[in-house]
Amino acid sequence: MIGLYLLILVIGAVASYIGPWWAIAPVCFILCWWKGKTAVAAYWISATGGVSIWLVYALYLHAVAEVDLSNRVAGIFLAGLGADGIPGIIPLTFLAVLIIGLVSGFSGLAGIRARSFINRPQQGTG
Amino acid sequence: MKVIRCFWPLFVAVGLIYLFGNAWGTIPPMGKLLSPFQGYLQNAETAVPSGKMELAVGGLKEAVTIWYDDNAVPHVFAQNDEDLYFAQGYVVARDRLWQMEFYTLVAAGRLTEIVGDAALAFDRNNRRMGMARSAATIAEKLKTDTLSSKIATAYAAGVNAYIDQLRYRSLPIEYKLLNYAPEHWSPEKTILMLMNMRNTLNGGSNDDRLTNVLATYGPNVIADLFPDYPGVESPVIPVGTPWAFTPLTTPSVPDTTWTVPGGDQRMAMEIATPRPEVGSNNWAVHGSRTATGLPLLANDPHLQLTLPSIWYQMQLSAPGVNVYGVALPGTPAIIIGFTKDIAWGVTNVGSDVMDFYRIRFRDSTRREYWHDDSWKPVVFHTETFIIKGGAMVRDTVLYTHHGPVVNQGSEASIGNIPAGYAMRWITNETDGSDMLTFHYLNRAKDYDDYRQALTYFVAPAQHFIFSSNGNDIAITSNGRLPLKWKGQGKYLLDGTLASHDWQGWIPASQNPTVKNPSAGFLSSANQFPTDTTYPYYLDWKFAHSSRALRINERLAAMNGANADSLRRLQNDNFNVDARRILPKLIPVLASIDSIRELSEFTVLSKWNYRNDAKEIGASIFEYWIPELRRAMWDDEFPMDGRMLYPSLDRTFSLIENDPTASWFDNSHTTSSIESMTDIAAQSFMAALCKLREQFGPLSSNDWAWANVKHTRIMHLVPAFTSFGRTGIQTGGGGEVINATTATHGPSWRMVVQLDRDWPTAYGLYPGGQSGNPGSPFYDNMIDRWASGKLDTLLFIKDLQSIPGRMMYQISLKPNPR
Repeated sequence: MIGLYLLILVIGAVASYIGPWWAIAPVCFILCWWKGKTAVAAYWISATGGVSIWLVYALYLHAVAEVDLSNRVAGIFLAGLGADGIPGIIPLTFLAVLIIGLVSGFSGLAGIRARSFINRPQQGTG
Repeated sequence: MKVIRCFWPLFVAVGLIYLFGNAWGTIPPMGKLLSPFQGYLQNAETAVPSGKMELAVGGLKEAVTIWYDDNAVPHVFAQNDEDLYFAQGYVVARDRLWQMEFYTLVAAGRLTEIVGDAALAFDRNNRRMGMARSAATIAEKLKTDTLSSKIATAYAAGVNAYIDQLRYRSLPIEYKLLNYAPEHWSPEKTILMLMNMRNTLNGGSNDDRLTNVLATYGPNVIADLFPDYPGVESPVIPVGTPWAFTPLTTPSVPDTTWTVPGGDQRMAMEIATPRPEVGSNNWAVHGSRTATGLPLLANDPHLQLTLPSIWYQMQLSAPGVNVYGVALPGTPAIIIGFTKDIAWGVTNVGSDVMDFYRIRFRDSTRREYWHDDSWKPVVFHTETFIIKGGAMVRDTVLYTHHGPVVNQGSEASIGNIPAGYAMRWITNETDGSDMLTFHYLNRAKDYDDYRQALTYFVAPAQHFIFSSNGNDIAITSNGRLPLKWKGQGKYLLDGTLASHDWQGWIPASQNPTVKNPSAGFLSSANQFPTDTTYPYYLDWKFAHSSRALRINERLAAMNGANADSLRRLQNDNFNVDARRILPKLIPVLASIDSIRELSEFTVLSKWNYRNDAKEIGASIFEYWIPELRRAMWDDEFPMDGRMLYPSLDRTFSLIENDPTASWFDNSHTTSSIESMTDIAAQSFMAALCKLREQFGPLSSNDWAWANVKHTRIMHLVPAFTSFGRTGIQTGGGGEVINATTATHGPSWRMVVQLDRDWPTAYGLYPGGQSGNPGSPFYDNMIDRWASGKLDTLLFIKDLQSIPGRMMYQISLKPNPR
């Protein structure tokens, strides 16, 4: 379990750095195909992996930035919603990890389920 | 079933990637945008760079060194002119790529491609004005102009070298938010950028409004209320300056000078009124009046205050040129600046270079129109609009020899035959040579070089002010000015008459100019270029004279001036209009008991006539005068009826000299006859009502002028409100030297002290060098600007004398491939 999480973390981070924004998805898919034990674990380990990578990197970039760009960007989306007092990084990061959590979670689940299509004999009525 | 059970998570995952990887309506691709690896957080700049970077770029001939100083101003050192413009394109794009492309999309009428059909009407207007078509024609012609073409091509290559390095993660944030990508730059885009500026400065007209006044009231009222020269004026070329040329024969005034737009023949298209808040100040003080004995020069162009800023500071140096100043993003060379020997600045002339001709078509096919006793062919030009998402809309624009028919279709007709109004506009007759003016000014050493450089300039006509360390000062109202009969184009013109065509051009050498006047100073503030002795007709109306009057009275009193004297003059908040009219109006108000007892009246009567940030009197005055004009004029000349109010000068002169004039009576009230006192009192109370409604009861904080005026500097995309700055505490006003209003103001302030050896210069604009809202240099100059300060500009002699204020260096090396 920890091994799969760490693999997703390391390979997922490298893939995200060089690939498109969804680069974590094939990583989760392949790693869960290879190392996934159960569907539930594959989903949650992948989701946690994706969330961890985005959360840590987003907070790091926010912390080292000279200007609070998150506030400015959040202002565009949240204008008039009464969210003036909330630092912009919070809603934006929440939305970001929600997106990547779903994408990576379902990708991991997709990996282990796809494996079952090839590896397991057909059972009963389905 | 097994397929579904095994693969549904895959379908969901792919679906989610699709969902968050694409834009939906105005919502950008959120997965891309919020990814810390790709999205907006990549635009949040970390530590300011330091040290040296080296980049290999294709298209350079030799190495270019760029030093960025502690205000992020690039100092470019190239070894030849083409590399210099290449590097300028590269560094400007590095800081302002999205902005410069945005301006070109505006001018080309292509905003629908990035914001959708909400921009269609705006785009259609811009296309009908002909800017996109003209830019394409000019870009084609430019190829035959070796030098202009070289400059624009090298600049474009530099911009493209930068664009080619970009990936999604390094795109300016606006591309990510609006979900599109930059196109390659080209000379045509530079031309479009200039078109946009011409539209800002010359893209308005009162011709249809004044025609409506003429049609309703006749020529006597026009002569009385809309005269061809104001009562109080201080023209750019000092009164009494002799005209050192033999003028051409002025065309005689034809029998018919206008066309009647009665009933449904009125122009339906909304042509913007000239924007009074777009203007500028510049002045030069001769050495005889300065502390050092050599000239001082100042300039502050007033434009809409935006983020990113309209200007970009830089130094450009190569063999034969070393210049510092501000450039327009997307345009080669320095537009306002100084060299070792000279300094120059510009203000808008604002003469009438946009006229409308009523077109009589032969029939409903509109293939021919009547002009000069014959039928002439109409040229059909199809404009295609691409709406974001892929849909296309087409619009056919009709072209006559006057120019595009801006107003067509069922909007107007003569009898049963469709009519339209064609527009002749100098912007559609430019040729790209304007760039050469700045190319040569950047290299100028003396007065003769200045005069030579000006010969290339077409539009929009500018008052080019000049000073040199040879102790010359000069100003020229420069640009291609149409030769007209007196009053030509004051009203809508008749497109069938050859006598209504423009009659040629005023020879460039006969444009108003003066050198080293006896007064020892020169200035311009968009007022009348000349007094009435100038032999040519330029326009019947220019900017209100208050800024000019104040500048000239202060310069006349200035001896031993230094740079700080000029900085203080740029920040002068004295309200000349208040000084002129309040001594007349205060006693009028005081005669009414109910007003005399108001504390607001006491504040106004004790006001020092200064539009300083804390003044309450300024708030009351600035709210009152528009109410006064509305009360006085809107009954006879309603804005809603597409009419025009008489000028502020004429309004004041009526109050001063003719307080019993019938114009004071409100024609909407039949049972009473209002006097000047009634109008003054009613409008004063209306202004107070508005102030109380918006800011509560009179208070020293809420009613302070800075809070009432509420200066703000917003992003170019109106919806990006959080990218702007609001609540800027500063004084000023539309008719004072510090022309800071709510949304417009001094977009660059510069003061240059020339010297035999090396000039000292100061400057600042309300924004920052970077166009990136995630950069500390996005808006870092705003607070210093608001408080009236100027930065000392770092003008470096050569690469051997780089001072300590530098942050980092970029070396551009030719890519051998």
